[in-house]
Amino acid sequence: MALTSVEVLPVDDRPSEPDGFREFVEARSSALLRSGWLLTGDWPSAEDLVQTALAAAWPRWASLTRQDAPELYVRKIMVNTFLRWRRRRWNGEVATGRLPDMQAYGDAFAQIDARQALIAALDRLPPRQRAVVVLRYFADQTETQTAAAMGCSVGAVKAHASKALARLRDAPGLAELMTGGVTS
Amino acid sequence: MNTEERQLAEMLHRVTPEPPRRVTVEDVAFRLASEPGRKPRPGRGSLWNSVFRGGHGWTPVLAALSVFAIAGASAGIATVATSHHTRGGAPSDGTPPATATVSNSPSPTAPSQSPPPAGETLRVAGGMWGAKLINRNSFSQGSLTGSGDSLYAVEDGYLARIDPASGATLQTTRYSPPVFSRPVVVGNTVWVVWSYGGGEIVLRGYDARTLAQVASVPVPAAGGVSNLAQGVLTAGPDGKLYVAAGDSVATVDPAARQVTHRISLTAGRASSVAVSPDGSKLYVGVVPSTPSGSFRVLVYDVATGIQASSSQMPVGGAGNLVATDGGVWGTTGTGMSQWVWFAPGGDLTRSFRVSRGAGGGLSSVPVYSGGVVWVGGSHELICASPSTGRALARTSIPTDHSVVEYFDSATVLSSGHAYALYQDNAAHLAGVASLTPPAACSG
Repeated sequence: MALTSVEVLPVDDRPSEPDGFREFVEARSSALLRSGWLLTGDWPSAEDLVQTALAAAWPRWASLTRQDAPELYVRKIMVNTFLRWRRRRWNGEVATGRLPDMQAYGDAFAQIDARQALIAALDRLPPRQRAVVVLRYFADQTETQTAAAMGCSVGAVKAHASKALARLRDAPGLAELMTGGVTS
Repeated sequence: MNTEERQLAEMLHRVTPEPPRRVTVEDVAFRLASEPGRKPRPGRGSLWNSVFRGGHGWTPVLAALSVFAIAGASAGIATVATSHHTRGGAPSDGTPPATATVSNSPSPTAPSQSPPPAGETLRVAGGMWGAKLINRNSFSQGSLTGSGDSLYAVEDGYLARIDPASGATLQTTRYSPPVFSRPVVVGNTVWVVWSYGGGEIVLRGYDARTLAQVASVPVPAAGGVSNLAQGVLTAGPDGKLYVAAGDSVATVDPAARQVTHRISLTAGRASSVAVSPDGSKLYVGVVPSTPSGSFRVLVYDVATGIQASSSQMPVGGAGNLVATDGGVWGTTGTGMSQWVWFAPGGDLTRSFRVSRGAGGGLSSVPVYSGGVVWVGGSHELICASPSTGRALARTSIPTDHSVVEYFDSATVLSSGHAYALYQDNAAHLAGVASLTPPAACSG
């Protein structure tokens, strides 16, 4: 089958790069990706999430910087995109547990186990509880900011956080992680 | 925050890894330029999938567009290039390609580094399991295979036949793998995934001695293909080829050069396929459709095409399946590390980790050869029982001035000798090593 060797895509409708956008992306993409990883559990999905949010912020950048809130907006888009994915695809599956070790390994694998345990624990949470955990406890947003990002009340944020903590308490291996253990 | 909340926050910051790659403005510009109305789909379009096995290891097949993306933010254009592996001009009628050679030296498409003269070998890895470098061409991870008295490996740009006695590259032919996919030898033919795109995968067959092209078989493929080493193509004991792509697995009769059966998967997208040694079971690894779904192995009865069982593992990305009489083996990983597991009876709920595998973004792909399963990587080299998954013998792979050395895709020839791909980044050495494993690895 004949294949076109190169395809040039039209980009006329793409706005020019806004002032300060590049600096923001360079400074914050790592933190945003880490939040994306906590939400989705893998790097390709995290990257997709961050790119989606940044693409949404691009045409609104001047307005966002005037409000001094570009990161809050990007995180809001990330969370809402994540929740939309999960609404569409959530199938209620709960992880069955971690892959058991045949034997103990060194620190490198303890790190991997810790990350696996963390993602497995977060997988136990309904999407909105997971989003609250990431925004409140990783992104260090206030309850008010978290409520604004998720489009709910502060009371709902508190309720999600409380239920999430209760579920995480019972997650295998997470108690050990929370009281010490392996670094990244 | 109360104490528990503070502990949770501290743990999240401590355990969450740094991303292996950052998003750039060019990434965003490309997204805006190319897909203005696109609904986001997790895992799509990332170039990381070949590196991060924690991801889905899956590449869209649509129009063969998505392999290389170059965003020209400042230039105001965005270009999508097709995979160079699907470039035109390749004969599809069985005509041997002009670049097939029969010589004692690499073809012009081969790396400039010449193999050592016959009989000249280099002791490597501290002599671990008698390791000697016999060929110094840098082949692709996971690509070494063997049959009869020949070894075969892939480098970007060519497929090589190697003399295991001298280490010399005997023949090469032009071949740029579109995805990581180990060559499969059936009888006198070496099969490779030649291209994908436009709704089909093209398999090519090469004469096992001359590497002249002898076959080209198009396989309809809707969906996508895995880029894991053992993801797309495998062979059963009867010589039938199995091609996994998108939501189906096709059976190809290599003699008739055509697809004879097709199994439609009940869920997910195929990331890997393997056939049991007796040819009765087909194991298909499927990656989830959801961002945090679970990897599954579906087990099919080859004779009837009916799914016999299914199990899942709480990881998103896994694959590189290998089937033995005791069950199925595979790989999974997080970040830059990959390790190997064994699932007795093909049941992932009973799976356990066999090996530390590889770090640093390297692969550790299990190989069933010479009656045992070989697992390499950057930590240790293992031969394991195909029945129980337990290691029969293992040895540590040394480091060279704190830089990991690496063994991968060990394979045993009919002579009983073992070979593996080897890499030492500190010493700038890479190639094919011969090994003398302990008797426990004799199968």
